[in-house]
Amino acid sequence: MNTKQKLLLNRNFHPNLVLLVLLIIILILSIVSLGLGAIYITPSEIIRNFIGEETQSQRFILNNYRLPRIIIAIIVGAGLATAGAILQGILRNPLASPDVIGVTKGAGLAAVIIIVLFPSSPIIFLPLSAFIGAAIIATILMLFVYKKGAQPNTLALVGIALGAICQAGIEYFMIKFPDNVNSTLLWLTGSLWARGWEHVYILLPCLILIPLLIGLTSKLDILSLGDDIATSLGERSKFLRYILLSVAVILIGVCVATVGSIGFIGLIAPHIARRIVGSKFKVLLPASALVGAALLLVADSLGRGLFPPLEIPAGIITAVIGAPYFLYLLRSERKKA
Amino acid sequence: MQSFIKLGKLSGLTLILLFTIMMVLAGCNAAQNNTDKEKEEQTSTGAKESKGRVIKHEMGETVIKNTPKKIVTLELSFVDSLNTLGMTPLGIADDNKKDMIAKLVGSDIDYTSVGTREQPSLEVISSLQPDLIIADVERHSAIYKDLQQIAPTIVLKSRESTYQENLDSFKTIAETLGQAETAEKRLSEHEKIINEINSKLNLDTNLTVLPAVVRDTSFQAHTTSSYDGELLEKLGLKVAIQDEQPYVEMSLEQLVEINPDVLLLANNEGKLLTDEWKDNPLWKDLKAVKNDQIYSVDRDLWTRFRGIISAEAIAKDTLTKLNEK
Amino acid sequence: MESVVKGKIKIYSTAITAIILLILGIIISVSVGIADVDLLMVLKSFFEINPSKEQLIIQTLRLPRAIIGALVGANLAVAGALMQAITRNSLASPQVFGVNAGASFFIVTAFALFPSLSSPSLVFSAFIGAAVGGITVYSFASGGGMTHVKLALAGIAVHFLLSSLTQGIIIFSEQAKDVLYWLVGSISGKSWTHVMIILPWSIVGLFISLLLSRSISILVLGESTAQGLGQRVNHIRILAGILVIILAGSSVAVAGPIGFVGLIVPHIVRRLVGGDYRRIIPFSALFGALLLVYADILARFIAYPFESPVGIVTAIIGAPFFLYLAKKGRNIKQ
Repeated sequence: MNTKQKLLLNRNFHPNLVLLVLLIIILILSIVSLGLGAIYITPSEIIRNFIGEETQSQRFILNNYRLPRIIIAIIVGAGLATAGAILQGILRNPLASPDVIGVTKGAGLAAVIIIVLFPSSPIIFLPLSAFIGAAIIATILMLFVYKKGAQPNTLALVGIALGAICQAGIEYFMIKFPDNVNSTLLWLTGSLWARGWEHVYILLPCLILIPLLIGLTSKLDILSLGDDIATSLGERSKFLRYILLSVAVILIGVCVATVGSIGFIGLIAPHIARRIVGSKFKVLLPASALVGAALLLVADSLGRGLFPPLEIPAGIITAVIGAPYFLYLLRSERKKA
Repeated sequence: MQSFIKLGKLSGLTLILLFTIMMVLAGCNAAQNNTDKEKEEQTSTGAKESKGRVIKHEMGETVIKNTPKKIVTLELSFVDSLNTLGMTPLGIADDNKKDMIAKLVGSDIDYTSVGTREQPSLEVISSLQPDLIIADVERHSAIYKDLQQIAPTIVLKSRESTYQENLDSFKTIAETLGQAETAEKRLSEHEKIINEINSKLNLDTNLTVLPAVVRDTSFQAHTTSSYDGELLEKLGLKVAIQDEQPYVEMSLEQLVEINPDVLLLANNEGKLLTDEWKDNPLWKDLKAVKNDQIYSVDRDLWTRFRGIISAEAIAKDTLTKLNEK
Repeated sequence: MESVVKGKIKIYSTAITAIILLILGIIISVSVGIADVDLLMVLKSFFEINPSKEQLIIQTLRLPRAIIGALVGANLAVAGALMQAITRNSLASPQVFGVNAGASFFIVTAFALFPSLSSPSLVFSAFIGAAVGGITVYSFASGGGMTHVKLALAGIAVHFLLSSLTQGIIIFSEQAKDVLYWLVGSISGKSWTHVMIILPWSIVGLFISLLLSRSISILVLGESTAQGLGQRVNHIRILAGILVIILAGSSVAVAGPIGFVGLIVPHIVRRLVGGDYRRIIPFSALFGALLLVYADILARFIAYPFESPVGIVTAIIGAPFFLYLAKKGRNIKQ
């Protein structure tokens, strides 16, 4: 994106217009994504299917596989991106993300234990345990930094260290039980394969957080000014930080529980959003959510459409898309410094 | 432009809220249709239940009407089982390796690939409109529901299964296809073949055999509880490692300690760890090396396929190799 | 004056204790395993011309393994010390810096694409990977002052990127699946061939590091001081960077990415012998060797009688240490 475009987006358009454009992009992506896969369905056929003229087999594929996947991609993408934006806000660090603070790894360790030790347990156990894993790591994280007053830097460092401990655990189990390595790895990279309506229902309760987030955006703006200013403005910054952290952890826990630990969305979506709408959280948060949704939608569609009937896990695609952008970020951060 | 200005009054977040609600409503709606249809199907199958056979399998019971013809298999051993019964699947989860399937069946067969065994494409499976799906309990129990929506599905033990479990799976498949009698006959024939080879393998009963998979960085021994280990025991051979774990990683030191009389190595492509070991005097001191009792076997056949025909092929392979001397 | 003498005595006694412990460790390492071997036989085996089976096991399997453990430990610890010196950041280490992840990624790629590649040429792909990982993290983390957090974040991000690419390759390549064990870091089953692969790089790397240690000590005092004392700061930095790549890269190529050694050891050493790099570097080599030799002995008992990779042991020891440093780091400097 060149500077001219940035100017156009930043100055000349109302933020809501940008959000509307993003919504339209997601809508178009969804329609294209509905068509992609081992069985190709043209956009016009898709529309015909939805207004009632249906081909039985196509409708089955659309309803049972692609539609739920698209909804999951949108919710998870948005959830991870929102969590990333919140973390970057409260840690005041542009590189913070769900992966960094160790929560994803905590979920990963719990999931690996379930996959490896109880391979025949009911399907619902996997997301449940992943969520519990994320919550445990988040609790330890908060206990550790509690005395230090939830300083952003301590939070990030302790998070990384906890992540490293979980990683060691994951590796131990993978070595100890090499037969399950493939399913473990699939989960660890993150994939939307065979996710259906029951997973959508797991994600739905997340939406309750939306009004809470609307209420918290202005606080985030104040927090990002720094603790001193925030306190002088009458905000209990420590308390706020815990609330926001909990919201982020819940989002991450639910998302990771559903699709596995998909990386980079929580890191790069808020950055892209910031470039488009600036850093006011009131607009940044919804914009991040939309960008994150679009990113995961693209990643999943590509993974499904590139080499059918083989599927590339969405997590690998997000890494491949995310990596160059991340490197670009590294460079521009350095220039600024 | 005016509409945009109006829109501007709405907060961005409200917009998102609206959009998500819209999406979810659309989703719930579709899901609703879906469950309705399911119920319909269930009641209709319920009515016909008296006509169908009830097949018990790892994930419960499935009612099979008529005789399935269009079958999708999601593990390799099921292809072998169908082959034994003189049938070929319509769709196979073949990891995109047509050659491997040709080797397994013994000739080129016409089928559709439904992707990898780990992540078979539900879309392709549903587009084939099968009347039976055979899935593996380890890999596919998570998608059992999805598969059931496509066609009656039976879930059996295949991956990591023992020899006996594999025979049981074969019986269930035959029962599902209404060929229980053929299967009984075939199984007793199988037993005869195995026993025959057992008697022909006229070896000292104290000789120990060790089957193992060799890769560039690892030497993985198969124990008595592995598929090939159990089969070798059935052939009257003594497998060198008795363990509950089917596979164990070994170092040269451990191999020297166990010192089997016969090594049956399923070699990986490319570089091998044993190439490195060959220069070591300890390797040359192994009984199997000294007596020239090292045989390389086909990795697909010995460790991947599993099934009646494959088991017989393994048995014959063992016979020709060990009786060479 | 008295305190200087006391200091010297303390250092000599530390050195002697460490050397004795290292030799003891190697002897234990050589005697512990599946086949029973008593101490006398261990000693005898070094001189026997016509060796028995047990003595052959010692000579051809256990001794090279112990030596590799010592070399890899020394390499990683010195690499960590050098990194902590040039970045003046106490969290710096081959693992945090993405050096290990880079080397692993390149080796796994090489496994998957050219399965018949020989071990010595794997070392070079490890070097390239180590350089790519390290330089990427450094170039970001150093912008505008390298704080703990910035380094850790940049490192973890690069690590995450490389490891998800590595996982991708493993999922899709039957060949690469076999390297999983290797990916945790293990020195079991290593032979003299591997010793010969790592030894030249170790000797060169450790020797030059020793020569460089004086300049590095001055560098640590601060760039302006160093320039005033006539040190060519950038040359030293680049040279130290190359040494890190050689030391860490060759270790990863032989033993896989064994974590945390490079992080822990220099800290322990600094506490024992003070902040002078003329001491820190040789002592790091010694203690690194010590740590890995003992960790490897432990690794044999975690899942006895089957071996576990030594990387798991170092991670179990190292991760809590990292947590401790992370908590403390806030108080030192931001």
